[in-house]
Amino acid sequence: MKNLLLVFVTASVVACGGSEAPRNVSSDPFCQRVIPAVDAWLADARIAHPTPDDDRYGGTVVVGTNGEIADGMNAAVAADYNATQHHQFVNLMTLIDFDDEYEPRGYLAESWEFAEDMTSVTFRIRQDVFWHDGEQTDAHDVAFTYLAVTNPETAFPNAAFWSHYVPGEAGVEVLDDFTVRIRMRPHSMPLDPFRTVGILPEHLLGDVPPSELKQHPFGSQCPVGNGPFVFYTHTAQDRWVFEANPAFPEELGGRPFVNRYVYRAIPEQTTLLAELLTGGIDVYVQPTPEQAQNVLDAEQLDLRRFVGRSYMYVGWNARLPKLSDPRVRTALGMGVDRQSLVDGTLGGYGRIANSGVPPFHFAFDADLESPVSYDPAGARALLEEAGWVDRDGDGVRENAAGEPLEIVLKYNPHHLRQAIAEVMQAQLSEVGVAITPQSVEFTTLIDQIASTRRDFEGVVMGWNAEFRLDDTDLFRSDRIDQPYAFSGTQNPTLDRLIDALSTAVDEDVSRALWVEYQRAIMEEQPYTYFYFRDRLVGVNRRLQGVEMDVRGEWTTVKDWYIDPASP
Amino acid sequence: MTEGRRGGDLSRYVLRRLVGAIPLVIGISSIVFFVVHLAPGDPARLLLPPGGGDQDVIDQIRRNLGLDQPLHIQYVKWLGSFFTGNFGYSFSQGAPVRAVLANTFPNTLLLSGFALAVAFGVGIVVGTIQAVRQYSAADSILSVVLLFFYSMPGFWLALMLVLMLSYQARNIWEWPIWFPASAMVSSDFGDLSSVGRLADRLWHLVLPATALSLSLAAGIARYMRGSMLEVIRQDYVRTARSKGLPERLVIFKHALRNALSPIITMVGVYIPMVFSGTVIIESVFAWPGMGRMIFDAIGARDYPLVVAGTFFFALTVVLANLLADVLYAVADPRIRYESDV
Repeated sequence: MKNLLLVFVTASVVACGGSEAPRNVSSDPFCQRVIPAVDAWLADARIAHPTPDDDRYGGTVVVGTNGEIADGMNAAVAADYNATQHHQFVNLMTLIDFDDEYEPRGYLAESWEFAEDMTSVTFRIRQDVFWHDGEQTDAHDVAFTYLAVTNPETAFPNAAFWSHYVPGEAGVEVLDDFTVRIRMRPHSMPLDPFRTVGILPEHLLGDVPPSELKQHPFGSQCPVGNGPFVFYTHTAQDRWVFEANPAFPEELGGRPFVNRYVYRAIPEQTTLLAELLTGGIDVYVQPTPEQAQNVLDAEQLDLRRFVGRSYMYVGWNARLPKLSDPRVRTALGMGVDRQSLVDGTLGGYGRIANSGVPPFHFAFDADLESPVSYDPAGARALLEEAGWVDRDGDGVRENAAGEPLEIVLKYNPHHLRQAIAEVMQAQLSEVGVAITPQSVEFTTLIDQIASTRRDFEGVVMGWNAEFRLDDTDLFRSDRIDQPYAFSGTQNPTLDRLIDALSTAVDEDVSRALWVEYQRAIMEEQPYTYFYFRDRLVGVNRRLQGVEMDVRGEWTTVKDWYIDPASP
Repeated sequence: MTEGRRGGDLSRYVLRRLVGAIPLVIGISSIVFFVVHLAPGDPARLLLPPGGGDQDVIDQIRRNLGLDQPLHIQYVKWLGSFFTGNFGYSFSQGAPVRAVLANTFPNTLLLSGFALAVAFGVGIVVGTIQAVRQYSAADSILSVVLLFFYSMPGFWLALMLVLMLSYQARNIWEWPIWFPASAMVSSDFGDLSSVGRLADRLWHLVLPATALSLSLAAGIARYMRGSMLEVIRQDYVRTARSKGLPERLVIFKHALRNALSPIITMVGVYIPMVFSGTVIIESVFAWPGMGRMIFDAIGARDYPLVVAGTFFFALTVVLANLLADVLYAVADPRIRYESDV
């Protein structure tokens, strides 16, 4: 019996890969073809570009987060934050990126030029960038990527990026192997889509029907990039492993310092913290506010903090009579002490939001006074003005028809959203509004709010703001039946401003419009905005060269190095 | 009944059970297929971020993933592809379902197998000690300890192991031996020697297998205690003692062997329990296994992965029950399965 057990245990361990390095190579014919080509090119590149004699070169850096790179490396079908960060900074290259002043600078494109009437932009592509199988990156790759993401059959998940661009063949022209022209209608921040969408290899994906790109093994099984890191292996729900690209252009920083970059998906945040504290990972993206103190207390760790993109809000269904009056929605915001939520649930790692315009936006106006500062007396007065009075003395206001102001507030199981719902229930009861929190599984909740049924009254939600904002799908009147226009907003002023903002080219004009837009949003109150959450990152001090800001945690990953003096 | 005839009856019994399992497992998978499709939530909508586009884009995603067809058509297509071994494409993992399961199922088997081995090993030893030392202080203390581990939620136990045997052991108590908080292998696994890799895998197995096995071991220990107590009261054990055999020989050679028979048959019963426990343990320890995979797939409404994963879990439970019956018959010659029913 003992012998049987021993054999079973050893056989299990060895049989499950105990004798081989854990490299998953898909059996898909595409992967069987490209992986050896990448390996061969990488071997040659290491000989042609030997590692510089500098102590900073070497080692492995491990980044841990609680989510997978769900959408993979295929930029034509990816939308999640972790995926786009890896397209921009790790495995692929974008045409431009932002410097630390958030000004565009060339990346894959060495230069660009706008037509005088702003109906086109011409990019000159660098000639020293190669795909990780040895093919040179050129204008044809840019044209292919543009065609893929503007083709409706691809179902590119950020289709709104291209609403001002001419889609298809008419929108892109290859002038020569390293020059490509994109056609568009004049609009604001025209370079922004080219900052976030990674360029894809035409020679590998050009024959794939657009509708099949999502399911192509390139995304999650064998991506071939041209960025600073070469894909090595991906184990689902475990890790992505990349190796340094020795042939990355010197002008762009050259070979990354670290030999290997590992991304690990660890769903449990207590485990993530334990791994950071014990050295299992070097970077922990987004520890909880409660864990921030553990990071601060550990002498081997640094806590990085910068303004984040994500914000929390409560969306109201203005289609319902009881929520159709902006005064009611404003009163609901005035009755809640949002700062207490920032202090209590975020540990102070956040800032009040009064609209969806984030603090890092060029036109963010911190001086704009919001009508929804915490003022319970003001909330009561506003509700009475709107016709809501406690007519029967039960503590809940009623309208003239005797209908009580009772609102079901839905949220998905998440401690921050639950906190908002419960605080609203407690504080709004003092102004005569009965809030009933209701926890709903996330996928079901999205279905309830985004389908035309609009089966909700209030919902606690979170969005990610971007450098280029476009609230067309959220608030424009003619989008009212579209999935994300769940607030049911119909406001001609907002419509006018949304249209003007998307086409304003001049920055000063745009800034003035954004200020006006922020005021209009505060008056309309389609959402009660709560806060922008600061981004927190725990970093092991042995890792140097780490600069993080709202561009993303991975902005400088190719410059990270392990301190040679660290143990 | 001759051994040969008995062996033949057992083989026919096993074959009959296996044949009967096929429609059972397909039936379970079909029910899951319809249940998960009828659950509220649209996976296509989840794939589109806010402001990412309008209903046209969602509709195109549905077409691209084959979700736009009527449910009965999707079912027929699924059934057809199932019989050809093509389980479809997992849109939450971005890979064929077959590849996803091939990568994760062995990891769950490894963890579960190790946990079972530990659970039975510990349970048998502790139960034997309790039986031999019945009513002693050791028996009482072990009963309390076992009750504690039996009662503790697996999630809490797992987190306590991470905090104590990973973080505290390494950073605070500075023990020479501590264990990693997550994953199956270290980040530098590829640079290790063969022996180093084996050691690395075992090192990573300790905490998750312990978390998974502790409460099971508690239950097995109670059964073992009872079984052992029954056996050591038998006449042949009294006879062995009367003959002057050393107590150790009496217990380990005569009593233990007979007490183990009913315990070993519990392997088949415990396999499904271990599998169901992997969802939480795999999440806490970031173990890339099937339990966690299916749980996430349900949230993402990844229909192909949910149905295929459920199929394999159901198959495992059916085979585990069959294993239990076979082991029972092997352990006890008095058990006879009808061959002509």
